[in-house]
Amino acid sequence: MNTHPYLRAYMAGSAVPTMMLVVVLSGFLIARYTFQIPIPIERAIVFPMALVPNIFGLWNIFYLWLRPRRHLPIGFHGALLPFILAPLGFGLATVSGFLAATSGGLVWFHELVVPYGFLALGFSFALIAYYLVWKYIVGFFNGVLGIA
Amino acid sequence: MTEQDHKKIADLLKQTLSPVNPEPSRDLWSAMLRRLEQRPATKSWLAVMFSPASLASVPWFDWALLAALIIGLCIYPKSIPVWLYHF
Repeated sequence: MNTHPYLRAYMAGSAVPTMMLVVVLSGFLIARYTFQIPIPIERAIVFPMALVPNIFGLWNIFYLWLRPRRHLPIGFHGALLPFILAPLGFGLATVSGFLAATSGGLVWFHELVVPYGFLALGFSFALIAYYLVWKYIVGFFNGVLGIA
Repeated sequence: MTEQDHKKIADLLKQTLSPVNPEPSRDLWSAMLRRLEQRPATKSWLAVMFSPASLASVPWFDWALLAALIIGLCIYPKSIPVWLYHF
């Protein structure tokens, strides 16, 4: 019997960012209408809504495929994902017109200036966040769906 | 094996095995109901994920990493929209 393990891996991987989407959208709405940060929601939501869940699902399929070949703990596997997602996100944000590189740093949403010195720190925080999310949440869903 | 051998084996088996009583010796339904009541209720996945047992199994350095993340967000809250975008 084919139990479709890759389909289950896709579902387990994409479940986390799909659930987070409500939080992301709420955060964008609060930032825009409460704190008056000019976030173009209709353009900014494309990346977390369309790309991130699919990439999470595919990355989890890759984890399952990789497991018998070269086993890497799921937390470390997830921590590698920002190396793909960060350039994609930066690229899409630049093309969409809400990220600009200036001499003072990266300007997000025409207002939030992130100095270049903070980029490395922010990226290491992203690695930590992805490590924890993959280890504890995606790993849990993998267990629930019987592919852990 | 001939048909006669089959019959012989069947007769031997019948002699060896004691006859099964088709009626149970006592009423099993009340025991079944007791057993069903003893089964723990199915917990939701959130309850399982955040159960004390699973939280206790988290190593200290993962708690430290989570604390570092939260402190970082508190120190630089302006980065929250950027975080939201990347999740």
